[in-house]
Amino acid sequence: MLDGENPSRVAVECQVNGVARSATVQARLTLADFLREVCGLTGTHLGCEHGACGACSVLLDGDVVRSCLMFAVQANGRRVTTVEGMGGPDGALSPVQEAFRSEHGLQCGFCTPGFVVTVTALLKDNPDPSETDIREALSGNLCRCTGYQGILKAVAVAARAGRGAVE
Amino acid sequence: MKPAAFTYHAPASVDEALDVLAELGDDAKVLAGGQSLVPMLSMRLAVFAHLVDIGRVAGLSTLDVGGRHVTVGATTVDSRIERDAELSGAVPLLTRVTPYIGHLAIRNRGTLGGSIAHADPAGEYPAVAVALDAEIRLRSARAERRVGASDFFTGLWSTVMEPDEILVDVTFPRWDGRCGFAVREHARRHGDFAIAGAVAGVSLGEGDRVERAAVGMFGVSSTPVRVRQLDAEVIGRPARECDPEQIGALAASGIHDVVSDMSGSASYRRRVGAAMVSRAWAAALEEAISA
Amino acid sequence: MSPVQSVDAAARGARYVGQRVARSEDARMVTGHGTYVDDVVVPGVLHAAFVRSGVASGIITNLDVQAALDTPGVVAVLSGADLNKAVVEAWLDYEGPAAAATPRPFRVLAEGDVRFAGEAIALVVADSRYAAEDGAEAVVVDIETRPAVVSIADALEPGSPVVHPERADNIAGRIDPPEDPALDAIFAGAAHVITETFVQHRYACVPMETRGIVAGWDPYRNQLSVHVSTQGPHGVRTQLARIMGLGDHQVRVVMPDVGGGFGQKMFLLPEEIAVPLAARIVGRPVKWIEDRRENLIAGQHAREDTVTVSFAVDADGVILGARADFSENVGSFPAGGSSSIRFSSLVFPGPYRIPRYRATARAVYTNTNGRCSYRGPWMVETVAREQMMDRVAAELGIDALEIRRRNVIRGTDLPYTTAAGLVYDQVTVDATLDQAADIAGYDAFRAIQAARRAEGRLVGIGVSLFTEPSGIAQGTLSTEAATVRIGFNGLVEVVTSSASHGQSLETTIAQVVADELGVDIADISVTQGDTASTPYGPGTGGSRSAVLSSGAAREAARSMREKLVRIAAHRLEAAEEDLEVLDGRVSVAGTPSAGIGFAELARLAYTVPDALPAGEEPGLQTHARYRPSSPFTWSNACHICTCEVDPVTGKVTLDRYVVSEDCGVMINPNVVEGQIAGGVVQGIGGVLYEHMAYDRDGNPLATTFVDYLLPTTTEVPTIEYGHVETPAPTNAGGHKGLGEGGAIGSPPAIINAVNDALSGLGVRITVQPLTPEAVADAIAAATGAGQSQAQQSDEEG
Repeated sequence: MLDGENPSRVAVECQVNGVARSATVQARLTLADFLREVCGLTGTHLGCEHGACGACSVLLDGDVVRSCLMFAVQANGRRVTTVEGMGGPDGALSPVQEAFRSEHGLQCGFCTPGFVVTVTALLKDNPDPSETDIREALSGNLCRCTGYQGILKAVAVAARAGRGAVE
Repeated sequence: MKPAAFTYHAPASVDEALDVLAELGDDAKVLAGGQSLVPMLSMRLAVFAHLVDIGRVAGLSTLDVGGRHVTVGATTVDSRIERDAELSGAVPLLTRVTPYIGHLAIRNRGTLGGSIAHADPAGEYPAVAVALDAEIRLRSARAERRVGASDFFTGLWSTVMEPDEILVDVTFPRWDGRCGFAVREHARRHGDFAIAGAVAGVSLGEGDRVERAAVGMFGVSSTPVRVRQLDAEVIGRPARECDPEQIGALAASGIHDVVSDMSGSASYRRRVGAAMVSRAWAAALEEAISA
Repeated sequence: MSPVQSVDAAARGARYVGQRVARSEDARMVTGHGTYVDDVVVPGVLHAAFVRSGVASGIITNLDVQAALDTPGVVAVLSGADLNKAVVEAWLDYEGPAAAATPRPFRVLAEGDVRFAGEAIALVVADSRYAAEDGAEAVVVDIETRPAVVSIADALEPGSPVVHPERADNIAGRIDPPEDPALDAIFAGAAHVITETFVQHRYACVPMETRGIVAGWDPYRNQLSVHVSTQGPHGVRTQLARIMGLGDHQVRVVMPDVGGGFGQKMFLLPEEIAVPLAARIVGRPVKWIEDRRENLIAGQHAREDTVTVSFAVDADGVILGARADFSENVGSFPAGGSSSIRFSSLVFPGPYRIPRYRATARAVYTNTNGRCSYRGPWMVETVAREQMMDRVAAELGIDALEIRRRNVIRGTDLPYTTAAGLVYDQVTVDATLDQAADIAGYDAFRAIQAARRAEGRLVGIGVSLFTEPSGIAQGTLSTEAATVRIGFNGLVEVVTSSASHGQSLETTIAQVVADELGVDIADISVTQGDTASTPYGPGTGGSRSAVLSSGAAREAARSMREKLVRIAAHRLEAAEEDLEVLDGRVSVAGTPSAGIGFAELARLAYTVPDALPAGEEPGLQTHARYRPSSPFTWSNACHICTCEVDPVTGKVTLDRYVVSEDCGVMINPNVVEGQIAGGVVQGIGGVLYEHMAYDRDGNPLATTFVDYLLPTTTEVPTIEYGHVETPAPTNAGGHKGLGEGGAIGSPPAIINAVNDALSGLGVRITVQPLTPEAVADAIAAATGAGQSQAQQSDEEG
C-alpha cells in the first residue's frame, strides 16, 4: 500500500511511544509517513513536507526533529515520541496539553501536535524560559489561526505548572 | 511532495563510505543531517539513484576542543555546537552563529559538515569558516587532503569537493587574549536565510591597538566572503579610531558579484551588508575592549 | 483581563455565555486524535497526484501518458478529455444558473490550452502517493507558450492577449453607475480635493491544512461518499450532485476536523471535482491531499487590488464627498462569489459620515491563479480608506486620531444610512476609537515619538477604524438551522447545519444551548459536518456563525424548553408560568423537589405519548431554521499599533498592537480574542511578509514556505484587547460576528504606523507589501542614499 513496485526496500526497527515497531518499507518513505501510515499515528501532521512549518515535529531520542525531513530508515534503533505519546495512557493531558486547552492555544488544531511536541522539548531543556526563549524556540512552528497569542500564554502557564510540579 | 525512489546505503565506517562513493560516483549523494537535501529530494528538485547515509559512520560526530584548535566532525549536529560550554569559550563565533541557523528542530539534525559542504552563500558556518581561516579535511578512497576555507568555496552551492570525497572534519583556530566576537544578520524572519550577514572577530594588543581582525560576510555574494582588505586598514590602529561605518562601507565595496534576487536587489544587499559589518564590528570591538 | 464596557453577563441570566469556557474540541486535538481528511482510512483507497502546467499560457501540443501508465503502482491517468465531458452541469454558484448572469469560465482539467501556471492538466491515480507522483513525473506534456496576461494593467491594455476566448476584453465584472452632478458640485466647491492611489498586493489564505478529499462511488447503492476539507459540507454536496448529475440524496459529504480555511475552502475548486469523477471512473475510492506547493500555486489567491480614492474635504478636515475606483485581479478561474468589487464599493464609506459618494470598479481576468474569498474579501475598501484618512490628515496638518474624531459616525447619528445606502442600526465606532486610543496611550506616544526622533530613530503609530458587515444573511447565506434532541439519559444533542473549521462552534453552540436549557455544558454534545445527519446550511464564512448558527441553536433550544415546560406542567398539574428549568430538571419555582428530570421527561415523551398534553408531538426533538432580522449585523473595531523602522535594513518591528472591538454580547471572550488575534496576524503577514508574486511571464515566485513567508512567534507583538459590548438588535442573543475583522483592520493600521514613522523624512508608501527592501529604498531615496544605490545598480547591471 505504501509504495509502488520498487526494489529499494529497507528494514526499519525503532521504538515509537514506547512500543517496538518493525517493518520493511521503501527507503524513500519519510519518518512522517511511516508514523502516519505504518504505525497509524495520524497525530503527526504534514503541513508542508519541506521542513518549514513544524506540524510534523516529533521527538527523536528526546530531541525535537521534523519527521518530514528524515527517512524512516534513519530512525533505526532510535526512540521516537509523537504527540500521541505525550499524555497519560488513560488519556490524561500532559501539563503542556492542559495549558494549550486552558489558554485557548489552538483553534483548528492542525498545527497543535507540532507545537505540543516542540514546547515539551523546550521545557525539558529549559524549565524556566524567558519570553524571548519561548518565542525563539517556537519560531519554526507555523500557526495560521491563533496569531500565537494563546500559544505563548500556554507555554508560560505550562512552564509554571511544570516548575510547580518539580518544586 | 514525495521523493523519487533511491537505493539506501548506510556504511558503518569512513572507509566503507568511501568505497561506496568510489564505486557509484555521480549517481550517489552523501546524506548527513538531510535538512537541506531532503526537501530538495521531496520536491524532486534533486534526484539521486543512491543515497549514502553517513549518520551511522563511527567517529564523524566529534567535537575536540584543543589548546590551539577546535576540530568539529562532519556529522556533529548544530544543537551540540550551540550548547557545548567548552566550545563557546574556545571559538565563540561558532556558538553564536548557531542560533541563527533555522530553528531548534533543524539544528537538532543539521550538521556543521553538511552546512559547509552544501555551501549555501547565506550559510552561517561557511562564513565563520572563511572568517577564521578554518581548514577543511576531505577524504576519498584515493587520498586525504586539507583545504583552507578561502579556497574551498568556488561558487553558488559549489566547492572543490569531488563526487567521491567526504568532508571529514573542520578545524578552527582558537583566539587568545583580549578578543571580541559578534554576529549580525538581516533576514526576513528569525531563522530565515540571511539577506545579508556578517561575523566579526577582533583581538586587541597594547594600547587597544587592533592585533587581529576577521570579518566574514554571507548572503551578499555567491560564496561566503572573508574581507581581507580590512587588514591593511585596521591592523595596528587604535581600535577606537576605526570607524565602524567606514569599515562596513569598505567591506561592501570589495564585493563585485553581489547577489540580486527576489529577496533582495544587489544595491540593497550591498547597503545592508555594509551595515551588518559595521554593526558586528562595533559589537565585537566593545566586547574586546571590555574583556 | 481586558477592559470591558458591557452589560453584565450574570444580569442576563447567563451561566456560560460570556465566560471563558475551555473548548470541548481540544481533548482530541491536543493529543493528536483529531481526524482530518488525510487521517480518514478508506479500504481499497487509491491516491492521486496532478500533472500541472509549468507556464502561464500556452497551447497543449502533446500529452503522452504511456510512460506514466507503465510506471509501477499507477492505475490510471485521466486527462481533460476524460473528465471534462463527465461534467453534467457546471454550476459554480450552487444555487444554480440563475445566480450568475454570465457563467464564469470553468473546466475541471486544462484541455487544448493552459491558462495559468499550476493549472491541472492530468490526474494520475496510483496505489500510493509516492507512486502517483512517479507517474505524474512520467507524463509528457508539450506546451507551445503564448504571451501571458499577469497584472491588472496587462489585462486592460488595449490589444493585450486574451485569457478566455469568450471574454475578449478580459473583463470579469464592472460597476459603472451614472455620473453624479451633485457630487461633482461638492468636489468643485471643496476647500481641498485630495486624490491618491493605493496598491494592495496578492496574498492568500494559506490554511495549515491544505485542501484534501477522499471520494468513493458505490455502484450498488448509487451513492457518492465524500470526506473533504471544506467550510461547509452541504454546498459540496449540492455542487457535486449537479456536476455529476446525481440527486442530493445520492451524495453524502462528511466534513471531518478541518485545519483552517479562511475562505479558501468555501467553494469547490477543480481538483476537488476531478477526484470524485476519477473515483467513479476507476471504480475505487480515490484520495487527494494537496501538497503545499500545489496549495501555493493552485489553491487560489486573494487581495490583488488597486484603488484610487478622491476626497472632497472642508478647511477643518470634514469629509464632504468621496469617489473610489476599484480594480481587482481575479486570475484565470476565480472561485464562486470571489469577486469583491460590489461589496468593496458598498462598504467603503465605513465608519465615517460621508454625505455623498460614487464608486466605479472593474474585475479582470489574468493568466494567474484564480481569486478566492479570503477573510474579509472586500477589505481593500478599509485598506484604502484608512490610508486616505491619514493622507488627508497629513495634507491639512491635523493629527490622524483627530481627523477620525471629526468624521466618525457617533451614537447620536444612529440609525445612520451611509451614502452607499447601508443602514447602521447599532454601531459604536466612536467608543472603540476612544477606547483603543486610551489603551494605546496615543497622546503619550506622540511625546515618546518626538524624543526618539531626536535620537534619529524612526517610530510611528497607526490607526484604523472600520465597520464589519457580519452575520451575512442573504442569497446562499440566508439561513442556518439546528435541531435539538434530548435522549433517554436526559442528555442534550445539538445538530447544526454549520460546522467548525477552527471557530470553536462545538463549544460556543453548547454554551448558548446550555444557558437556554439550564443544563451543565458537559451534558451537551454538538453534532456537525455530515450531510447525512445535519440539516442544510451554507457553512462558515462572512463572520456569520455567532449570529446565524447560535441563533438557530438558541431558537431550537427555546422551543425545546417550551416543550419540556408544557409536558412537565401537564404532568405536575402546575401552571407553565410557575415552572423553572434548571440543572436538567423542570420544577416548581422555589420547590425543586416538585419537579421532573429531563430523563424522565424523555421517557414520557418517547414511550408514554398518552402522558403528554393533548396535541403535543411525542418525542423530544425541536428544530429551527434561522434568519436574523437584517441581512447584516454590524460590528465595528479600531486597531492601533506602534512600530519602529530600521533606517538601513528597512525592517519593521511592531511594538504594541491594540484592538478595541464591539462584537455585541460575547459568547466566549477566549474565542473572540482568538479570532481577533488570528486575523490581525494574517494582516501582519500580508503587509510585511507574504507576497504571492509572479514574474512578467506569469511564473509564480512563491512556491514553498521558504518564499511565502508566514509570520511566526518572533514577528508578532502581544495583542491587547478592549471590548465594547453593545447587544446587536438583529438577533435574540445580541451577538455580532467578528471573524473577519482582524484581517480587515490590521493591514491599514500597520501601513499607517510605518508611514507615520517615515513621515519625518517626507516619505509615504502607498504600494504594498512593505518589505524591508521597499521601505529601505524609500528611505534611501528620501535621504539621498538613493543616489549611490542607483549608481550601483547600473554598475551591477
